[in-house]
Amino acid sequence: MLAPVSWLKDFVDINVSPETLAKKLVAIGFEVEDIHYQSRQAKKVVTGKILSVEKHPSADRLRVAQVDVGNGVIQVVTNVALEGGEYVAVALDGAVLYGGATIKRGELRGVPSEGMLCGLEEVGVEADAVEGQTKGDILRFPEGTALGQNALVALGCDDVVLDVAVTANRPDCNSIYRLAKEVAVALGKDCREPEIDYEVSDDSVNDMVAVEVRDADLCPRYMAGGVRNVRIFPSPLKIRARLRAVGIRPINNIVDITNYVLTEIGQPMHAFDRSYLESGRIIVRRADEGEHIVTLDGKDNVLSSEMLTIRDGAKPVAVAGVMGGENSGINDATTEIIFESARFARDSVRRTSRALNLRSDSSARYEKGVDFSAQEYGLKRALTLVYRTGSGDIAADLIDVAVDHDKDRKIVFTVREIEDILGCKVPVGKMKAILSRLGIAVEKGEGKTYAAHIPDAREDIVLVNDIAEEFIRVYGYGHIEPTLFAYSSLTKGGKPEFIRFRDAVKETLVDLGFDETITYSFISPSFVSKLKIPADSPVARPVPILNPLGENMSVMRTTLLPSMIETLSYNIAHFNKSARLFEAAKVYFADKQPLDDYADEKDHLVIGAYGDGFDFFALKGAVEGVLAALQAEGEFRRSELPFLHPGRAADIFVGGVKVGYLGEIHPDTAAAYDAEERLYCAEIDLVALHGAERGAISFVPFSKYPPAERDLAVVVADGVPAGDMLAAVKAGKISNLVSAEIFDVYRGAQVGEGKKSVALGFAFASPVRTLTDEEIAAEMKKILGILRRGFAAEIRR
Amino acid sequence: MKSRIDEVKGEALAAVSAAETSQALNEVRVRFLGKSGEFTSLMKLLGTVSKEERPEVGKILNEARVAIETALSAATSAVEAKEQAARLAAEAVDVTLPGTRRETGAFHPVTKIREEILKVFLGMGFSVAEGPEIETDLFNFQLLNVPKDHPARDMQDTFYIGDNLVLRTHTSPMQAHIMKTEKPPIRVVIPGRVYRPDDDASHSPIFHQIEGLAVDKKITVGDLQGCLQTFAEQLFDKDTKIRLRPSYFPFTEPSVEADATCAICHGKGCRVCKGTGWVELLGAGIVNPAVLDMCGIDSKEYSGFAFGLGLERIAMIKYGIPNIKLFYENDVRFLGQFR
Repeated sequence: MLAPVSWLKDFVDINVSPETLAKKLVAIGFEVEDIHYQSRQAKKVVTGKILSVEKHPSADRLRVAQVDVGNGVIQVVTNVALEGGEYVAVALDGAVLYGGATIKRGELRGVPSEGMLCGLEEVGVEADAVEGQTKGDILRFPEGTALGQNALVALGCDDVVLDVAVTANRPDCNSIYRLAKEVAVALGKDCREPEIDYEVSDDSVNDMVAVEVRDADLCPRYMAGGVRNVRIFPSPLKIRARLRAVGIRPINNIVDITNYVLTEIGQPMHAFDRSYLESGRIIVRRADEGEHIVTLDGKDNVLSSEMLTIRDGAKPVAVAGVMGGENSGINDATTEIIFESARFARDSVRRTSRALNLRSDSSARYEKGVDFSAQEYGLKRALTLVYRTGSGDIAADLIDVAVDHDKDRKIVFTVREIEDILGCKVPVGKMKAILSRLGIAVEKGEGKTYAAHIPDAREDIVLVNDIAEEFIRVYGYGHIEPTLFAYSSLTKGGKPEFIRFRDAVKETLVDLGFDETITYSFISPSFVSKLKIPADSPVARPVPILNPLGENMSVMRTTLLPSMIETLSYNIAHFNKSARLFEAAKVYFADKQPLDDYADEKDHLVIGAYGDGFDFFALKGAVEGVLAALQAEGEFRRSELPFLHPGRAADIFVGGVKVGYLGEIHPDTAAAYDAEERLYCAEIDLVALHGAERGAISFVPFSKYPPAERDLAVVVADGVPAGDMLAAVKAGKISNLVSAEIFDVYRGAQVGEGKKSVALGFAFASPVRTLTDEEIAAEMKKILGILRRGFAAEIRR
Repeated sequence: MKSRIDEVKGEALAAVSAAETSQALNEVRVRFLGKSGEFTSLMKLLGTVSKEERPEVGKILNEARVAIETALSAATSAVEAKEQAARLAAEAVDVTLPGTRRETGAFHPVTKIREEILKVFLGMGFSVAEGPEIETDLFNFQLLNVPKDHPARDMQDTFYIGDNLVLRTHTSPMQAHIMKTEKPPIRVVIPGRVYRPDDDASHSPIFHQIEGLAVDKKITVGDLQGCLQTFAEQLFDKDTKIRLRPSYFPFTEPSVEADATCAICHGKGCRVCKGTGWVELLGAGIVNPAVLDMCGIDSKEYSGFAFGLGLERIAMIKYGIPNIKLFYENDVRFLGQFR
């Protein structure tokens, strides 16, 4: 809501600076987002007088003028035709014009120039907002204008405009008058009523038009007034300047009056040219399904039977509250007008405006809500302005078709209730005084109760809580002492087990040197082809967003991998030599499409890395580290996922349940994401992992005798999975074996084609004594036996 | 004999004081006290001394041996200490060289802030809950007192999945889920992703909120204020002050914006707080009784407060991050700063 301070002053005597006013408005709930000083929209542009003009020595079209700018005379080179003696506006050295351009002292074709003559455009003023200036010409001021003053001030553009953020519960304050009432409360001043004062002719509006409201549910009140012998002319300067100050283009006196009233009173007005209303009737009812209306903007609209129309005896003449019909509007030939001042149902206007994709200042206002009190105020104010501007002869009487409504709505409350909401002592006298200033009269009721009389304009006040808020926002929240659950019971608190589990996973990865990422949950559907996901996989059927910001953010992801690959690719492209990343986030699956209920949202984990020697085993080590921290044991089997390197891919199983995959990203997929490095990624379904069999920490006694270590190198066929060999040994009931590991794998000429040497290290220890060499040799023999039988292993020589 | 003892003793003590290394001292020990050392040889001669003289000579002999051993041991300690000092001096390192360490990773700043905030509320007896991001219109709007076609819908642009299905625009729908399933006393914080179709330097279409909800008998604005005060003191510093000013949310009444004194300038006014000394922290209020009733909690018996804050905003204030886009680019040079 743009509110010129000068306009607010019509209603309240404001004696503080705009900044102080803004602070006081914020304190009672009206955030002031900007304070615009008209006089500062161009800087260092001042009034000056042309003392003399000479021709430019080397340019026919340029002139060299000596200009008196109050505190001295400067030389200005210009292409404007001057005679000398003119009063003009000059941008001085260092001036900043409207729009941001700066003016510097310089030379034009060899002649120094210390400024520039300015027109309306340079100071950001429209010709219709000021008197006596012409668009395209330089600014010209009357003889005797004081020199050296701010040119905008000299133009009369010295208003200050507040941009006030009005919350959705206060639609009434989208008007200067209602906002002025709040200003009055904030400043502790009185607020004047809008001036209503006009004379009427003998003819009644009832002779001009008959109004019939058939769908009162969508139009609880319809008021109309008439004007005969209408004269169309440009509005007086004050109206034009004020409309411009709030961003509305002046059109003519009648249209300007409707806009002025909309801004000042908050009541949308519509002016019909009576000659277009067939049979002199106005009927308010829902449209016939499928009928057409061409609106003022030239658009042909097809209406549905849910949309409210204003019609004459034959046809729709306006989409109620949204826009008038093409032919019913005011033009220079208009002689009789009917002012409409109506209350239309808020939600109906909103739906209609959206369905037709038709917006206007009226619809924007109706969508916020127009209260019962505004129709009469608005109409009478419009007629007052018709009278003041001499725009026509006002017909006697007003038409008022309204449903009954409770004109004296009351809320009964006790002071104790208010205190229980706020948690502070409420002084009764103070409370009554504050509410009274807000227009809410409070009277004592039975027992300890009070009754608050709610004015029509305050449809937002329906509960005791609303009364509490009205009181405290003026009284000040600073009166409330902070307490910590003064009357409450204890609660347990804490994080649910799954969140703690997920936290543990994330902490482990951070400990292992991985940085956490957060990426968008919606991605491009192209991931399906880039990852070569089979069409019958649920992963290939992500939930689409109906109104996405773009194709690349249009589906809810079913896998975290594409986001991770993109992040890795981004880092590669931004000169980062390596990255080790992870993200724990949700993926979204739909049981059926289109989705009509909650999705299946699951927590996943993705790990991704490249560079700095990172390889498959570094990735696997990270996954193993995560599993170890959860007391889970992973089993890794070769994977055939299409987006992974076929020789460097594994599915991850825990307790026999598949929980994810890991591997090097297939070069085709990496290339599809423009990643010019080998990428290593793993994705784990955290819900599956959480549900999989995991151990618990349980103490195992260890030997106090020194362990005996033995190594064994065996040669096996190249295809034998070394992990299986280790697993077989561990499962082989070897006495006193405390650790077993693979410490080297060798392929080469020494072991022969198609073979490899696997070096294993073992440690033995007994809990009760030192083992003898013979005992250990016997166990090593058993181990060799296991490897021979299971893997055709030979001792390497 | 006696003079011979004095003589050897004298030689031994002289040799001890002449020795400068532990090796030399060891040689002295061998020369005098070794198996065939000079002093040992004298000891062996004691048998040849007459019976009468033997106690006296024996005594002198013993005293001489103690004197030599004492001197030797003192000299050895001194020399060893000197040698150790020399060795340690030679082992000196340049302490300004960088340490060797295994780099840990970093939590995303949003996570870092979230966990800090959760910790504060966990300490006040709040539990943590999460909820669905694809949410029904009923929970995202209607149960929060925003019927269809209500102007308050303009406060939050919305991504739609279906006619009655949206990407949640705030974490508030979880208030309704929790109130519908749990009985007071309720104290819960709900962190999570939320979605709004805004995309510019200060808006991301995805961002994070933490919702707070407390429902019990006689919950007041004072409790809300106390709770937020505790929160701000722990998140920023103990001198941080909270200020409430009136605002509007459909699901709270009264509604407030809570400002905190600027953590950068401590209220003096700076670039971060645009000279006001205050930064906007979060929106909050007393749960609208209509919302309690819609969610099956008797508003005559219970009241509650709720608040919602944007994590990116807080992180931007706390860490001085200039642009919200940085959170989602995930450049390692950004992420690495939050170790």
